[in-house]
Amino acid sequence: MAIGMRTAAASPLTYLVKKYNHFVMEQSGYGNQPETLDAVFAALADPTRRAILTRLASGEASVNELAAPFDVSQPAISKHLKVLERAGLIERDIDKQRRPARLKAEPMAAAVHWLEDFKEFWTSSFEQLDSLLINLKKRKDAGGQT
Amino acid sequence: MSELPIYVLERVFDAPRELVWQAWTDADLLARWYGPRVETIVHSLEVKPGGLWLNEMKWGGNSNYQRTEFTEVIPPERLVMLQSNSDADWNIASNPQMPDWPRVLLTTVTFQDDGKRTKMRLTWAPHEASDKEIACFAAAIDGLDKGWAAGMELLAQLLAEQKA
Repeated sequence: MAIGMRTAAASPLTYLVKKYNHFVMEQSGYGNQPETLDAVFAALADPTRRAILTRLASGEASVNELAAPFDVSQPAISKHLKVLERAGLIERDIDKQRRPARLKAEPMAAAVHWLEDFKEFWTSSFEQLDSLLINLKKRKDAGGQT
Repeated sequence: MSELPIYVLERVFDAPRELVWQAWTDADLLARWYGPRVETIVHSLEVKPGGLWLNEMKWGGNSNYQRTEFTEVIPPERLVMLQSNSDADWNIASNPQMPDWPRVLLTTVTFQDDGKRTKMRLTWAPHEASDKEIACFAAAIDGLDKGWAAGMELLAQLLAEQKA
């Protein structure tokens, strides 16, 4: 199971990134320079950009089509698209006039998984601490040494 | 930057405070809970201001090294420490895949009596960080705190299904 593999070696904070990127690169076959996760996080931190990504999940779209549902100018949407493109979250056709944008799943999955691994690290560590404390209490109650 | 982004985790443990404190400050006990499904090796643990906690986590053929310096130790109430990723020689190192992640995080752990239980609170904040590092940390914890990660997770799943 993918999730099992992913969390099998969860570690906190920066340690997580090293492990996770290693894993992502193996899994998704990033051939060239992988996008750094900080660029992905910065891109995802903006609600308009997340809305654009959600829209693109239902299919490619031009700047015009993307701008329509938002109360934002076309140049502003173009700027958001540039940020998303630089983070590797979308790709755009170069040749076609309307340059439709398309979602690229892997970098987003990497960022989401990083966050999940972070949570998982602490949830699991705390569970281990829970059972350790139970054992320590038992020994203490039994009058033994810790 | 005026206000630093801070990430907070809280948890109640069904054990007296002294015991929870011991689990954090005894090297053998610490290695038994810190880091799930990895082999945790505590190379050094000096719980005093200026003391170091040198931690290695191993899985498969990999090792991650973490260098922590305690700055405040008030048993059994409070631990304050500076945590960094490090190389195998315990020199502070940044991560090539996430170059803007703060190199040093100020971690504060407080232990509060709650009857027979203990309320533990962990906070992380960038320490002496650049604007870029602060922004990177803020963006990542935004995903944890505001829960947008869940929505993006659904999106990622949807895409995976479409691909399959």
